[in-house]
Parts: sequence; C-alpha cells; structure tokens
Amino acid sequence: MRLLTSALAAFSFAGPAMAASEGERIQITGEIIDTWCYFSGVMGGPDAVTGSAHHTCALWCSAGGIPVGLLGEDGEVYMVLKIEGDDANASGDTQLNLASHEITADGTLYKRDGLNYLVVETVVTDAGITKLNHEDYGVVPPFAIPNPNK
Amino acid sequence: MKKLIFLIACLATAPAMAQDFSENSQARSWNLYAEEPQTFSAKVVDITCEITGSCAENCGNGNRQLGLLREADNVLIFPNKNSQTGFQGAVVDLLPFCEQMVDVDGLMLIDEDVGLNNIYQLQLIKAKGADEWIKANTWSKAWAKKHPEAKGKGPWFRRDPRVNAIIAETGFLGQGLSHEEAYEITR
Repeated sequence: MRLLTSALAAFSFAGPAMAASEGERIQITGEIIDTWCYFSGVMGGPDAVTGSAHHTCALWCSAGGIPVGLLGEDGEVYMVLKIEGDDANASGDTQLNLASHEITADGTLYKRDGLNYLVVETVVTDAGITKLNHEDYGVVPPFAIPNPNK
Repeated sequence: MKKLIFLIACLATAPAMAQDFSENSQARSWNLYAEEPQTFSAKVVDITCEITGSCAENCGNGNRQLGLLREADNVLIFPNKNSQTGFQGAVVDLLPFCEQMVDVDGLMLIDEDVGLNNIYQLQLIKAKGADEWIKANTWSKAWAKKHPEAKGKGPWFRRDPRVNAIIAETGFLGQGLSHEEAYEITR
C-alpha cells in the first residue's frame, strides 16, 4: 500500500513539473519564415507566404516579435529558440537579418507537445533568398510594396 | 489492488484525454481556416527556459518568446500573435505575467492533417481569477515608446528603423531591386 501511495504521489508531481529534456543533434536546411503567416493561412497558402514574395512581410513579422521558424526541406517547421548564442527570439537582430534566407543550421532539436524547437549552434551556410516566388505570386501581401508614384 | 491499478491507469491517461476549452470563450473569429476559440488557465513561461533549461531573468525581459503552460494538462501552448491586426507577436502582452498564473482567451490553430498543434492567437488575458480582461493589444504602444525617433504617420512597420535599413540595402524582395523595379515586376 505504501508503495502504491508513493507511486501515485510521484506521478502526480512528475506530470506538471516536466523538466527540460535532452535534445538531439541535427543539421537542417530550410528557409527562415514567419510562423504566424505560415500556420494561420491569413495571407494565402504555404507557397505564397515564403520566399521573395513574402520577404517584406517576413521582416515586419520578425521585427514585430512574431516567432521565427526554420521551414525545413522535409516540410517540418522548427521553432527557432537561439541562433549562434543569440537568445533574442522575439524581434532579435540575428533572426531579422536572416528573414527569408535559406540556411543550413547545425544545432539541437527538441520536441514538445507536437512542435519542433531548434537551438541553432552554427549557421553552416547562408545562401540568402533563394526562393524567387515573386515571379509567381507577386508580392504578398500586395500592399507590402507601396506605389512609388504616390 | 485492482482498483488502485485502475486509478493509476486513469491518472496516466488523464492529460491525453481530449478536453473542450471552447466553452465560455469570447474570442472573436478571424476567419482563419484552422481556428478554434479557446479559453483556459495557464502559467506564463519563458519557452527557451522551459524547453532547454537555459533561463533568463524576468523571462528574458521581452526578448524571448513566452509560452502558456496550460494548467489542465501541462501542454505548452505557443502564442504566435496578439489581438492587433498587423504583424505583432504576443510577448509584450504576456511579459507582465511572467511566471504567473493567468486566464487567457483567443484562437487555437488546429489542423491535425498537417500537424498544426498548439499555436495560439492571444486576444484577452488576466491574472487567474481576476474580474477584468485585458486586451492583448499593447505591442504598438510599446514600439512607439521604444522608437521615439520613428514618430510619424502610418503604421509602425512602415517606420521601423531596422526593417527600413534592410529594405534600403536589398529592396522589398531582397533581390537588390529599386523600389520602382520591385513594384513594377510584382504588378
């Protein structure tokens, strides 16, 4: 009985007090995106809210503190927690300067409650903006580039 | 003995049981394809601290994303957006409640087909059990206070010094095109 009581007590505390877990070393190539536009569909489908078409909006969202993610070639989104030691993942300079860039990141992957989290130890390569989808979608949203004649 | 084993089994599966957080939600629809109004109690946490154990004073003082550790099932919710239209996250609205229990109301984005989980748009917040809700719309005022040099007409994102510096360098499409060129090829 005492054993079971202890087991119950241990379980009831172990649940809510889940501690940070060990991560997994990983290398991922993908695009630095703004996650709200990507997840919400507020400005269109996934292909339209990435790349050059969405670059200005990605800058606005990153500066505005919307979480930044790395959209991997595997189609998974990795929520970025740190980049090369910079822990400012809400409107930080490092992530802002990488908006829409294709990078290869070497870092640590964590998973929690259906989301991927990534601590980027090293940006191995930064290819800049490689997805030139403004040729297909124009600019998303259209008002991102104001009329220069007004 | 069997009853106790059954009790333990029930406790083990409790967090995984589907719960309805939509009851009593006052959240406004944004007509998002995957939205579901949800209100719940939670603890405001520094997500980086919660996930990696690397913690910072006062939840990062606004420089780190903040999460909602839902009281009912210990699930970590990621608020991506505040209630303002435009391009603002929820950290400014959450920071005053760092490490505190709150009640929140907003829209959860759920699409099991694409693995969309626990992404939240925060609309209302209050200390747990408080009477009055607070609108999660404080980002723009905080930005204006931080950037008095950028005072002017139009929305903040047209006047943000860091954004404008990048656009001045590489253009609206990031391809080095002039304003006129970028405008023309996207019409």
